[in-house]
Amino acid sequence: MKVKAKLKKGNVSVKVLAKSPMAGKEEAAKKKIDVEFITHMTATVNGAVVWEASTGPFLSKNPYMQFVFNAAAAGAKKGDKVEVNWVDNNGKTKKGGKKIK
Amino acid sequence: MERRKFLSLGAVAAAATILPSTVSATDFRKEKPAAWEAEGSADAIKALFGDIKPIEGKIKMKAPKLAENGGAVPIGMKSKVEVTTVALFQDANPRSAVVVFELGKGGVFDLKTKIKMRKTANVTVIAKGTDGKFYSHVQKVEVSIGGCGG
Repeated sequence: MKVKAKLKKGNVSVKVLAKSPMAGKEEAAKKKIDVEFITHMTATVNGAVVWEASTGPFLSKNPYMQFVFNAAAAGAKKGDKVEVNWVDNNGKTKKGGKKIK
Repeated sequence: MERRKFLSLGAVAAAATILPSTVSATDFRKEKPAAWEAEGSADAIKALFGDIKPIEGKIKMKAPKLAENGGAVPIGMKSKVEVTTVALFQDANPRSAVVVFELGKGGVFDLKTKIKMRKTANVTVIAKGTDGKFYSHVQKVEVSIGGCGG
């Protein structure tokens, strides 16, 4: 997982590139691979959730996510870490993060 | 007495401002399973949000006029309206619901993601504002080569 977080004019913009085939049942059957897709992602800063997504297999393979939050409202500043967690349909979890630039 | 009244009021106000920050993680797949199985956008929206009458024209969507690769169609969603929940639907795949975003404290409605579309179809965004109202935007996205393996 790749995460980038940048503070600009009081807002933090975060880019996440996750790694998953995002294969639903139809796609998995056609490609003869296992059904595997991320079902839920959350982003937290200093323990507070700033963004979350319930996802399905119709996001692109290795899904890309971009979101923005107000640094002051979320109590975040430069150097704080944006932590991203996700879980897939098989219950596998993954963790990543990056300090705010 | 006056002072006490003031203090208790302050405590109530403090509690009220703390509440929104404790955004609990909502897994819409677990809470609204029917929405993820619906084939059409209208059914999926109904299963997720109920019978709503969204306001149009407040959300801006950025999508390619003609997507060359249906495997990763970039969709941007933006609005000045303060929202808590943003859901994305399309009619190009076996099932309609793609993703449901939830914004935490300080969340700005400026989201981008990439979706799969196996054919030309409408993409719908439904957002729930902090005012409790619903907002929507529908846009047709043309796809030259379908990307969904299904």
